[in-house]
Amino acid sequence: MTNSIPEIRDADLLFVIGSNTTEAHPIIAMEMKQAVRNGARLIVADPRKIWMAEIAERHLQLRPGTDVWLLNAMAHVIVTEGLTDNAFIEKHTKGFEAVREALLPYTPEGAEEVTGVPADDIRQTARAYAATPRAGIYYTLGITEHTHGTDNVYALANLVLMTGHLGVRSAGMNPLRGQNNVQGANDSGATPMFYPGYQRVDDPEVRLKFESAWGVALPPKPGLNLNVMMKAMARGEVRGMYVMGEDLVISEPNASEVEVGLNNLEFLVCQDIFPNETTRYADVILPAACFAEKDGVFTNSDRRVQRVRKAVEPPGEARADWEILCDMARAAGYLMPPYASASEIYDEMAALVPAYAGISHERLEENVAGLQWPCPSAEHPGTETLHLGGPLIGKAGFQVVQYRESDELPDGEYPLVLSTGRVLYHYNAATQTIREPGSMAKAGRNFLEIHRRDAGRLGIEDGQMVTVASRRGQVQAEALISPRMRPGCVWMPMHFADSRANLLTNDAGDAVTGTGEYKVCAVSVRA
Amino acid sequence: MSERFTIKLDGRSCRAAPGETVLDVAGREGVSIPTLCHDPRLEPAGACRTCLVEVAGERRMQPACAFRVRPGMDVTTASERIDRHRKVLYGLYMADHRLDDAGLPEENGSANMLREQAARNGALALPPVNASRTGRPADTNPYIRFDPELCILCARCTRYCDEVEAVSAITLTERGASTTIGTIGNAGLLDTSCELCGGCIDTCPTGAMTEKKSYGIPHAELEAVRSTCNFCGVGCQVDLNIHAGRVVKVASPPPGETVNDGNLCVKGRFAYDFIHHEERLQVPMVRGRDGELHRASWEVAIRRAADGLLAVRAKHGADALGFVSSSRCTGEENYLMQKLSRAAFGTNNCHQCAAT
Repeated sequence: MTNSIPEIRDADLLFVIGSNTTEAHPIIAMEMKQAVRNGARLIVADPRKIWMAEIAERHLQLRPGTDVWLLNAMAHVIVTEGLTDNAFIEKHTKGFEAVREALLPYTPEGAEEVTGVPADDIRQTARAYAATPRAGIYYTLGITEHTHGTDNVYALANLVLMTGHLGVRSAGMNPLRGQNNVQGANDSGATPMFYPGYQRVDDPEVRLKFESAWGVALPPKPGLNLNVMMKAMARGEVRGMYVMGEDLVISEPNASEVEVGLNNLEFLVCQDIFPNETTRYADVILPAACFAEKDGVFTNSDRRVQRVRKAVEPPGEARADWEILCDMARAAGYLMPPYASASEIYDEMAALVPAYAGISHERLEENVAGLQWPCPSAEHPGTETLHLGGPLIGKAGFQVVQYRESDELPDGEYPLVLSTGRVLYHYNAATQTIREPGSMAKAGRNFLEIHRRDAGRLGIEDGQMVTVASRRGQVQAEALISPRMRPGCVWMPMHFADSRANLLTNDAGDAVTGTGEYKVCAVSVRA
Repeated sequence: MSERFTIKLDGRSCRAAPGETVLDVAGREGVSIPTLCHDPRLEPAGACRTCLVEVAGERRMQPACAFRVRPGMDVTTASERIDRHRKVLYGLYMADHRLDDAGLPEENGSANMLREQAARNGALALPPVNASRTGRPADTNPYIRFDPELCILCARCTRYCDEVEAVSAITLTERGASTTIGTIGNAGLLDTSCELCGGCIDTCPTGAMTEKKSYGIPHAELEAVRSTCNFCGVGCQVDLNIHAGRVVKVASPPPGETVNDGNLCVKGRFAYDFIHHEERLQVPMVRGRDGELHRASWEVAIRRAADGLLAVRAKHGADALGFVSSSRCTGEENYLMQKLSRAAFGTNNCHQCAAT
């Protein structure tokens, strides 16, 4: 997030796209509700009539996968009606002229045809967004889980830049992070292209720095992202895996291919807190401590580094992940330093990343609200709003984005569009929440949301078990006839091991990030 | 913003801004005024009357939580009149609060602001009133317990449900002495729009709303450890409450201190049973020649894990290995996983579920 969570309540306009905030980020949703109570305008773009759409002044119920058309049409309105912030564009950006040209064909009327959103709604939204100084964009996986996910993000960034909604309190570009520490995992370099702090592995100078810090030669070639790794596994190119704290079988798209890959492996190590669908394939299972049983930090959506503290002992012989990883490295012949605590590990990383240099466990004891990076020195208070004095990289580049259709579109055989997502009461692969009575009482089994008209045509009644099939697999789920759906679209949560939405989803990935197209695949539904 | 101005608070000159309440200014100046129905997350209600203060020129005492400051106003927060008022008020609340003399039973761990304030300010002894408030004894929700005997109708819970969580699942129902906290048709919370966030428990000042899971555990025996919630990416701060080596309750730090401003969701507050669940992995397991997983020592398991991966590397090269880190684990652990992948095994094939 370029803004911070406490800034949300002071916003004057919230444009929420591809984020079912009340279910996926309930506490951020509370801040948005507060903003609306304070008089902020709320505009929601989502194929489903989600809870936030109920309190929004406008709901743009677009067809799944048509985000680029919608966003480009908004940009078209802003450009053609002269609503751009020319001073900001001049001073802080580059590449605007090419984008202005490219946007010309994206008329609101054309958008209406493709997205299903009335042209007037698009015009009004664009005008409101451009004219409101404290206007923030909030998005989640509804934007990124597409083969054109990166394009979606670029299209949003274009809107931000052309209106100068950056480096302003309560106005910016705010991806809401899904997992407790997904920001921190990336920040720490658990990514194939970057060392900690987004320092590129293929930059010789950077590599030299890490080689001298770690005392070993490092591989120069960027690695595979997870989506590509799964495919390489199925093809027999990746033969050994070490998996910590993820249930690949439930979480990755096209689950049956993932299982083929796991079967192909010569060796699999799983390190986790519960047995899951992936540990069934393991050669070695290492029992790990959960968050309440170890020390460390998590970094949240607004770049806030906060402490995790050991409160209870792990069960049986389970150990903290960091202790296990140190032993693994030593057993593989690498001299991992003898860290006495997680704090020492953080210090080692902070010494290698200028943006975290001012953060330490010690300082976090005094800063109960955490420290937000960039935080370059021990005296620095942390950074609440990013890009306050203009973009950190100097001039921010506009990106020309052209609409591309989703990888798999409905046809005669698979006539409906399936999107998958989360419900409030469960968390991802649900290994934690299926063991919780309240979660199970509120959401005990899988379901398929479907529009009344589609259900009627297919002879499906509310509550009936249906079979949902795609080119990759099929699952059974309970039909839920729902006024939230668009006709022609169905929706299913991804949590349930006994009815896996990811047997259906398409593993075609975004060209840049590899993220699978969880939000659009073609399915059939039958009673 | 318009000009700041000066008011008098107990004879002292204090700066104040338009729109502020007397309670806002008093809080900043370190002047303590008791409140029960006040919660900084909610619109002032002025319902409980414990915060009444004297304002020069006003015939009646005024609620500090709701009364807005005016230039030059003169406020008195401590006087014989205010004392007398509080003694009667707390006496009335306590008479209607619970039928036993001792107030709340000791084993109820919920903070009891009312009982503490009544003891501190002195409560007039009045004969108990047996109000006919009803609860929802048949409510099968696993988390939230409502005891109508302890409720003083300050409406913090219902206002929280309306204003902060905005699901309006609970409301004041009935009339007069029967007024209670109810739901539509007195349905159990699972059959309402309630999302089980437990904010009603958090805000309740009397212990009328309590957690079913931790009910009966003495408050004094809980040890709180501050940590960060392990579910979504908001980063809510939590106090893990420990009793006999187990997490028995999760609470938020007070409003205003951390990113979650005193709030938690159903997962953060209640979904902690997994921590002590019997199905947790507790011992290392190694697959034997028979194809089954067997219990092993840590030494054997680590050796076997490292050897297995080294063998793949020897046969197919380092890039035939993949390391899946976890956005569920700590920053330090993610740092070590990528270091393990790069420095110990020599591959950049290291990622996690960021793209999932």
